[in-house]
Amino acid sequence: MLFQQIPSETTNYMILGYTIIFGTLGIYLFSLVSRRRNLEKDKEVLEKFQTREES
Amino acid sequence: MEPKSNALKILDWTAAALLVVATYLVFFYAPKELVMGNVQRVFYFHVATGWVGFLAFFLTVATGTLVIKDGRGNPRPWLIAGWTGLVVGFLAQGMYRSMDLDIMSWVSILAAMIGLYALVLGYGMRKGRDFQYWDIHSVSLVELGLVFSFINIASGAVWARPIWNTWWTWDPRLVTATIMELIYVAYLMLRAGIDNPVRRARFGAVYAILGFVTVPITFFSIRIWRSIHPVVFGAQNPGAEVDAGMTTGSMYFTFFFALFTFTVLFVDLYLNRIRLGKFAEEVEQLKMKSMI
Repeated sequence: MLFQQIPSETTNYMILGYTIIFGTLGIYLFSLVSRRRNLEKDKEVLEKFQTREES
Repeated sequence: MEPKSNALKILDWTAAALLVVATYLVFFYAPKELVMGNVQRVFYFHVATGWVGFLAFFLTVATGTLVIKDGRGNPRPWLIAGWTGLVVGFLAQGMYRSMDLDIMSWVSILAAMIGLYALVLGYGMRKGRDFQYWDIHSVSLVELGLVFSFINIASGAVWARPIWNTWWTWDPRLVTATIMELIYVAYLMLRAGIDNPVRRARFGAVYAILGFVTVPITFFSIRIWRSIHPVVFGAQNPGAEVDAGMTTGSMYFTFFFALFTFTVLFVDLYLNRIRLGKFAEEVEQLKMKSMI
């Protein structure tokens, strides 16, 4: 192993690891919210379109 | 979109609270590992995300079967087989622990997996929903499996950099996990290329079932082949220079708490993703209506 000292100083890697973990989870949550918003907008437009068609 | 049920709202908050507690345990409760230092703390969430990734892909086999069967069938034999599998798994686990029979450890895992598969199938058939309903489940599971497996692979690379002195090596575990991830990315690509919803669901289901072959290969890769990847459960691989570094009770407590947390988080995200899938289906129906 290539450790210079015991315990080795690997805090930066831990921070990077948890940034990836929480970052990916955050991006996924954001994607869920944004997809829902887009669908709501689509639904609104479609419903308007339908009521106009009916009238 | 139908309003979120109170049960799901409670689950959302429970998952969030558990994640906060698990993070606290990782950073402030579990001690610093003596050789690897702080980067060993990545292991707690690395293994937990790997577990839920496997679980998601495994459940896709059951929901895929329900898509192919159009949700129909007699649930009774499946439920009997399911509960029998779980009981056999539990007994085999007991034999493994009390009689030290190594083979029983794998018998228990296999029996429990078959049991869980049969139970999902049995309860799924009992629900009496059609293939579209189970297709939403399948795609939600694959999506979540991909997210958690990606976290698992990426966090593993970060751990490997100071420990193995490289971000990536052609180790059996790393290679099989990446192939598994790519196989399921191809699942989404396959779906995107098919317009007919019936064909899309059927093709996707068959592909997801076949693609599951990569999951046990990934899981057993460090147990079958010579690998430098640590083994958390079972005998350490002779090729591994370092193990998972978990030596104290507080480390094990944090580890199992993280496993539990990510399982709850997975269930919560799964239910939310299904809700989104149903809403997308509703909008799709509206689009079809407006086109006619």
